[in-house]
Amino acid sequence: MKRFEFQGKDLFARVGIRIPASRLVRIMEPDGTASPGGMEGALKRVDTAVRELSRKGGGTAVSRVVVKAQLDMGGRGKAGLIRVVDAGESGTGGDSAEPGGEAGLASAAVEAARDILSKGYTVPALLIEEAVTFQQELYLSISPEPTEARYVVLASAEGGVDIETLAAERPEAIKRVYIDPFRGLQAYQSRGLAYDLGLEGSLAKDLARLLTQLYTLFTQFDAELVEINPVFVTKGTAGSEPALVAGDAKVIIDDNSLHRHPDFQTVREQYDSDAAYEAALEGIPYLQFDGDISLMCAGAGLATTVFDLVNYEGGHVANYLEFGGPNYNKAQRAMELCLKNSSSVILIVTFGTIARADVMAEGVVTAIKNLKPDRPIVTCIRGTNEEQAHTTLREAGLEPLYNTEEAVRRAVALAAAATAQNNRGDIPQDATHDASGEAQA
Amino acid sequence: MSIFIDKTTRIIVQGITGKEGSFWTGHMIDMGAKVVAGVTPGKEGERVREVPVYHSVARAQAALRDGGEDEAEAAMLFVPPRFTKDAVYEALDAGVRKIVTIADGIPLHDQIEIRAAARSMGAQVVGGNTSGVISPGQSMLGIFPYWIERVYKPGSIGVMTRSGSLTNEVTAMIVEEGFGVSTLIGVGGDPVPGTRFAEFLDDFEADPDTNGVVIVGELGGTMEEEVAAAIDEGRFTKPLVAFIGGRTAPKGKRMGHAGAIVTGNAGTVVAKSEALTAAGALVADRPSKVGTMLRSLIAEPR
Repeated sequence: MKRFEFQGKDLFARVGIRIPASRLVRIMEPDGTASPGGMEGALKRVDTAVRELSRKGGGTAVSRVVVKAQLDMGGRGKAGLIRVVDAGESGTGGDSAEPGGEAGLASAAVEAARDILSKGYTVPALLIEEAVTFQQELYLSISPEPTEARYVVLASAEGGVDIETLAAERPEAIKRVYIDPFRGLQAYQSRGLAYDLGLEGSLAKDLARLLTQLYTLFTQFDAELVEINPVFVTKGTAGSEPALVAGDAKVIIDDNSLHRHPDFQTVREQYDSDAAYEAALEGIPYLQFDGDISLMCAGAGLATTVFDLVNYEGGHVANYLEFGGPNYNKAQRAMELCLKNSSSVILIVTFGTIARADVMAEGVVTAIKNLKPDRPIVTCIRGTNEEQAHTTLREAGLEPLYNTEEAVRRAVALAAAATAQNNRGDIPQDATHDASGEAQA
Repeated sequence: MSIFIDKTTRIIVQGITGKEGSFWTGHMIDMGAKVVAGVTPGKEGERVREVPVYHSVARAQAALRDGGEDEAEAAMLFVPPRFTKDAVYEALDAGVRKIVTIADGIPLHDQIEIRAAARSMGAQVVGGNTSGVISPGQSMLGIFPYWIERVYKPGSIGVMTRSGSLTNEVTAMIVEEGFGVSTLIGVGGDPVPGTRFAEFLDDFEADPDTNGVVIVGELGGTMEEEVAAAIDEGRFTKPLVAFIGGRTAPKGKRMGHAGAIVTGNAGTVVAKSEALTAAGALVADRPSKVGTMLRSLIAEPR
């Protein structure tokens, strides 16, 4: 379960990692409904948040803030979803007073927020942070290393950039520390890393402390990834040493460990569609795409292969849905989720052992009876008790296929036929749908 | 012959009295598996298909010794994911060195600890999130539809796989081409499988009855690349065909299995295919090509 940046930073704060002063402004509630007041309400809250932030600390005025869209997406900066503003930026005149000061900063942040929210992304919230003045940016992460069964710390003195690009171009710029899962992180390892990153004095101690805190977070919350990029090395001022502050937070909690962490609830705002959210509540793996073939497959590997085969045959997947394993008796629920898409065909492919073919065929036939799907269904259901499954399908007027590739070709042909029919303008409302689809793309 | 298990392998079943445990223990025995004891805490004295049940693995091993028999060398776990680490440690501490767990949903940090512990003790854990291991006609530690003849037939091809459903699909293609399976090992779909593809290659290389190996891989991780390295280094010299799912999967999306995700530049199917092809293996882009590719490499009569 991926956490948004603000949620990751909440976890950071719990283990003592320094984060910038901030306020959260909600655009959507966690259940996916709009927060009160629409766009203007949200912008009013941005204004209030900035004014609160700029007054914090009693005396030291905050002169720059960062407005950051909270959504699960890489490259937010490039997409214009992270904006640094200062009081001088607002040059629009009017009632926002002259450049500088609290009012100027607030109105600049409001404009940045309006711009971010107008880009067409689904943004559940904005994080308004005090901008950190830094002299250097570091990179730090911890993740599992499966080959030797240990954890690996990746660190670089050249943070703030895309770490994968850095790894490809200058691998020597990335330092690695391996952690034995039974011994845990040792003090000498943290110290050594600090020196290898070129940090000295109090900063070296800070880095060692930060890594220890991050490892605590990683183990305590069963994370599959904790990443800080960048870690800001702040500019020291008279009376304060330079320090390390987490500029971003990427925390992914292991889904298999969520029973140990009841605080992390599955909520609507984490998903890009209602169908994806409802599938998650059912424990059904689901991915949203924008094609016209709904996949309803059992078995993760088989579903992934069917996904490939559809693409090879020139088809387009509307959704990836896998109802094998413990969900093999949820055919009706699976079909309901597929029908939420505007796909033109549902392709059912299974080859199960425990996920018995006869049970799945029975489920599919019942689902068709109850849901009366408005689109053709291709079935390729094999595995335990497949003879019975095929009898069931035939009795319901479905043609049971044995061969996965034949089933895929059938589905792709049906989808193509539906598209051709729509393009002839036979069904005006579907033509409208096509047009809106293009507008989004 | 076969690798990992054969008809002489003495097996203990942990979680034998549960619904899945008792059902599949029956199928294992029908397939030829030598199940010598079962374990369910609190159920000592019961029997499942004539197999005596004990409170613990240690007590089962003691009873076998007291009865003048050898201890069990392999354990099959029908234990829920959150208790799997405990069950693995229990088996390891009772001297078991081959352990198969089918559990789907083992916590990630448990997966790391399970593999680390097994390695430190010279043991092999297969799984989780797998159908297990089968040497058709000899023995089975797991849950395979061996009764579907067009899918599971004894023969000369070693198979290693990250996916149960896909294995049925690919194995059917192997059998359709007139081959059969020596041993099939499902290493599982988790990010940290207990044992990795390349760690079975030495055994397949040494097995006189394995003429070639098929690996059923998928996007994510580095297991396929490790196989390519083993071929490159000359550690494995028999014909090898790979099918790898997820070639068209979008980056950063988890395709079904927890381990099936491309992060950064690592784990793409293209990179895996290139590594294997460069090492001299054949890579099928569709399951239907696996059989014919094998046929092109192995001149075994149909």
